Amino acid sequence: MNVEETKARASPREFSPKDDLPEEYRKAATRMLEFHANSEIMGAYLERPFIRKAPSLERKMAFSAKVQDEIGHGQLLYRAAESLGVKTRDEMLDDLAEGKGKFLNCFHYPLESWVETPMIAFFVDGAAMRRQATLKKSSWEPYAHAMDKICFEEGFHVKHGESILGELMNGSKKEQEMTQEAFDKWWPRILQFFGPTDDQSSHHDFAADVGLKVMTNDELRNAFLNTYLPKAKKYGLEIPDEPRIRENDDGTYDVVEDDLDWDEFFTIAKNDYEPGVGQIEGRKHAQDAVEWVRNALDEQEAIAAGGQSPQAAD
Amino acid sequence: MIWEVFRQNQAGDYHTHCGNVHAPDREMALLFAEVQHGRRKPTNSLWVVPQEEIGEVDTEDAKFGGTTNKSYRFARTYNVEPAAEEVEASEKELTEAERKRGEA
Ligand SMILES: [Fe+2]
Ligand SMILES: [Fe+2]
Repeated sequence: MNVEETKARASPREFSPKDDLPEEYRKAATRMLEFHANSEIMGAYLERPFIRKAPSLERKMAFSAKVQDEIGHGQLLYRAAESLGVKTRDEMLDDLAEGKGKFLNCFHYPLESWVETPMIAFFVDGAAMRRQATLKKSSWEPYAHAMDKICFEEGFHVKHGESILGELMNGSKKEQEMTQEAFDKWWPRILQFFGPTDDQSSHHDFAADVGLKVMTNDELRNAFLNTYLPKAKKYGLEIPDEPRIRENDDGTYDVVEDDLDWDEFFTIAKNDYEPGVGQIEGRKHAQDAVEWVRNALDEQEAIAAGGQSPQAAD
Repeated sequence: MIWEVFRQNQAGDYHTHCGNVHAPDREMALLFAEVQHGRRKPTNSLWVVPQEEIGEVDTEDAKFGGTTNKSYRFARTYNVEPAAEEVEASEKELTEAERKRGEA
């Protein structure tokens, strides 16, 4: 299939590993999936310390279940990505460790205090879920199938995150103030989740034409603001004056782009932002620490495949 | 040789198990699967898999989902209005799964 034929056939769940797809498609789909998979993993590492820091047994259990889910989402997505035949799972995981793999802007920032957890667990997971729900219509069938499973689980994440937010905003004055502070800090980053406005996004056109991207950045940001902005207000959070958000008559929003820090955003996109660099390193250490497990599994796989492992032959 | 058969209704759907056939090789297994399982039910694709290649774990060997109360894994547990339609849809699926587990 050439690019034109691919564009003509593009529709939800249309292409599977059986199809002979052009390299442009395979590369674009791999880039999206790898970014998505890396983000699941880096997000999980960010939330992991809160299994320990959670204030109650229920929250501890929920965070532990959530982190486990996110790592699983990463694995599902690496599978969907490697079935495109461009990169293997090992290559993607190594690139992530070496600081070459890209991932979501929000996961380059440190997550230090309990009051910050709903910024990720409610707002970022909510934004991610908005986007993921549209990707159930991806033209790459393995991606759409991964989304079925992931969206099935995400409802728990988002509601759990919201329940923490509600608890904090109904808590002591101090808790409310600290949560508001965390919100002020995270809100611009969350608005940047969907990337720059459409005219600045370089990969969109092709990805949209071949059915990999189903909604534009602007449409997704609007849909997110339509539901999550009222939620924030409902819990008594004040929306910061900047970045300015204008509500249009048709229910859409314009975010004043100049009020957002795009230098920081693009520094992050290059993996050059300092806290993010430390977080990439931290994950690399974790990956290195369990190298012996991967080696043992590889050896086992070689034996199961019928051959004898080199060590066993000695 | 026994081959397990999986049918996919339409492109993009999941292949689901629909039965098995007795056949000497893969080619014949595909032919028998086509005749037995692809004639009436809507079929876009069939898979055949040698039965002995399938691994299984069932309720005799495993306690799926654990033995203690794990309601914290389910959206319904958290007493907030779903923020968006996709959250609501997920909650429905989770609650349905929870209900069926309860019946099992
Ligand atoms: Fe996830
Ligand atoms: Fe999540």
